[in-house]
Amino acid sequence: MSLDYILTILKPMLQGSQMTLLLFIIAIVLSIPLGFLLTLAVNSSIKLLSLLAQAYIYIMRGTPLLLQLLIICFGLPMIPGIGQYLVLDRFTAACIGFILNYAAYFAEIFRGGLLAIDKGQYEAAQVLGLNKFQTTVRVILPQMFRIAIPSLANESVTLIKDTALLYAVAVPELLHFAETAVNRDFTIVPFFIAGIIYLIMTLILTLLFKWIERRFTFE
Amino acid sequence: MAIMEVTNLKKTFGDLEVLKSITFDVQKNEVVAVIGPSGSGKSTMLRSLVHLEKIDDGTINIDGEYLVNKGAYASPSDLKKASTKMGMVFQHFNLFPHLTVKENLEMAPKLVKKVSAQELSRHSMELLEKVGMADKASAYPSNLSGGQKQRVAIARALMMQPDILLFDEPTSALDPELTGEVLSVMKELAKEQMTMIVVTHEMGFAREVANRVLFMDQGEILEAGTPEEVFDNPQFERTKAFLHRNLK
Ligand SMILES: Nc1ncnc2c1ncn2[C@@H]1O[C@H](COP(=O)(O)OP(=O)(O)OP(=O)(O)O)[C@@H](O)[C@H]1O
Ligand SMILES: [Mg+2]
Repeated sequence: MSLDYILTILKPMLQGSQMTLLLFIIAIVLSIPLGFLLTLAVNSSIKLLSLLAQAYIYIMRGTPLLLQLLIICFGLPMIPGIGQYLVLDRFTAACIGFILNYAAYFAEIFRGGLLAIDKGQYEAAQVLGLNKFQTTVRVILPQMFRIAIPSLANESVTLIKDTALLYAVAVPELLHFAETAVNRDFTIVPFFIAGIIYLIMTLILTLLFKWIERRFTFE
Repeated sequence: MAIMEVTNLKKTFGDLEVLKSITFDVQKNEVVAVIGPSGSGKSTMLRSLVHLEKIDDGTINIDGEYLVNKGAYASPSDLKKASTKMGMVFQHFNLFPHLTVKENLEMAPKLVKKVSAQELSRHSMELLEKVGMADKASAYPSNLSGGQKQRVAIARALMMQPDILLFDEPTSALDPELTGEVLSVMKELAKEQMTMIVVTHEMGFAREVANRVLFMDQGEILEAGTPEEVFDNPQFERTKAFLHRNLK
């Protein structure tokens, strides 16, 4: 096994990793705020909104992400009448699937964070004259976010690994190039390299979250 | 002059009548201690005054402004106006853990009163000085002892320059050796003529500092008077029994 060989297959695999990373970044940047909005909806005093949000979260968490991706990529275009307008580019479709799915998980994480905040915090804010908006933004969110960081870190690592599901909807990503090389060259080395690339990505992510956690430790 | 007038306050939680018909007033510059057995409604009464509990019936008038008039609450803006005349110190401090001591003091006035940063900083350091916490201005609450937290909480309430300061068992969550530092800050405030309502189990403090003592039992003010009247010459058996249990 030569170093040359590794270098040759590394190039397409790193290109594939770009797809992986791109999906990861788009998914995390959009699903965290969406998840937060869902949390607000669940806690809303408008009963219908709350029920809808809860149902959404239940469905998204209760069915496989793969199934959701398949429905968005291949199912939607089959809907009679409107299907022809729902044909999306595979990568776009996958991004939508990941965002919608992960938002539900992040919503649950944030909800847990909210539940952990003592009601005395709301009372102190009220007596000091803060309105609801000020209380949410200045008092509740920072604490909720702090409580949520470890779970957010966990979920983000899962997200990195879940990007491999792109393989199933035929978007060429890291795993796809690894498999192509395995079949062509009849060696499993590309799989190991893929594993190492995933490990490096999760390691960087974990370190990043550790740093964020330290920054937001109030001591 | 009465700065607070409370008339026929009633409050139930489900079937439980927690406040039966509470009537009392508070004079300007007066310290009123509220004592009574656990579950008698002391906290509920105090929390009603700052609108943390909604009462079912009765009147609360703060310095001429109605918070509630015969069971009807004032408009949100009037409610807010009446509420800002009062500050509250909680048993469990309720400091904001994500803010430093100084930020804890400055956040609310910055948002609510729109005072300049300079003026805020001067005011907050002055109050931290007063409660002996100036050297901890940039510490986070998690690094403070209970007594220190409560002194910061008192300073935070004072930042809003309330006319009346309410305390709900400010020393009950503290180790016994830390109650002294909090009580001495409160005595200092009393000396400066701060109007205060203090729910407390500290009978020594009530006797020494309060101008008036209210004894609450089963949702009523059973007995009210000067510390001498209530402690040395209680009229009711229930007061005597309570004092007997708590004055040792
Ligand atoms: N949110 C609530 N829901 C239902 N019951 C309540 C609620 N808050 C208080 N109670 C009940 O009201 C009664 C009075 O409670 P409150 O906390 O006012 O008493 P307290 O005099 O402050 O007692 P303590 O000395 O233990 O603090 C108690 O029986 C309590 O169980
Ligand atoms: Mg109480």
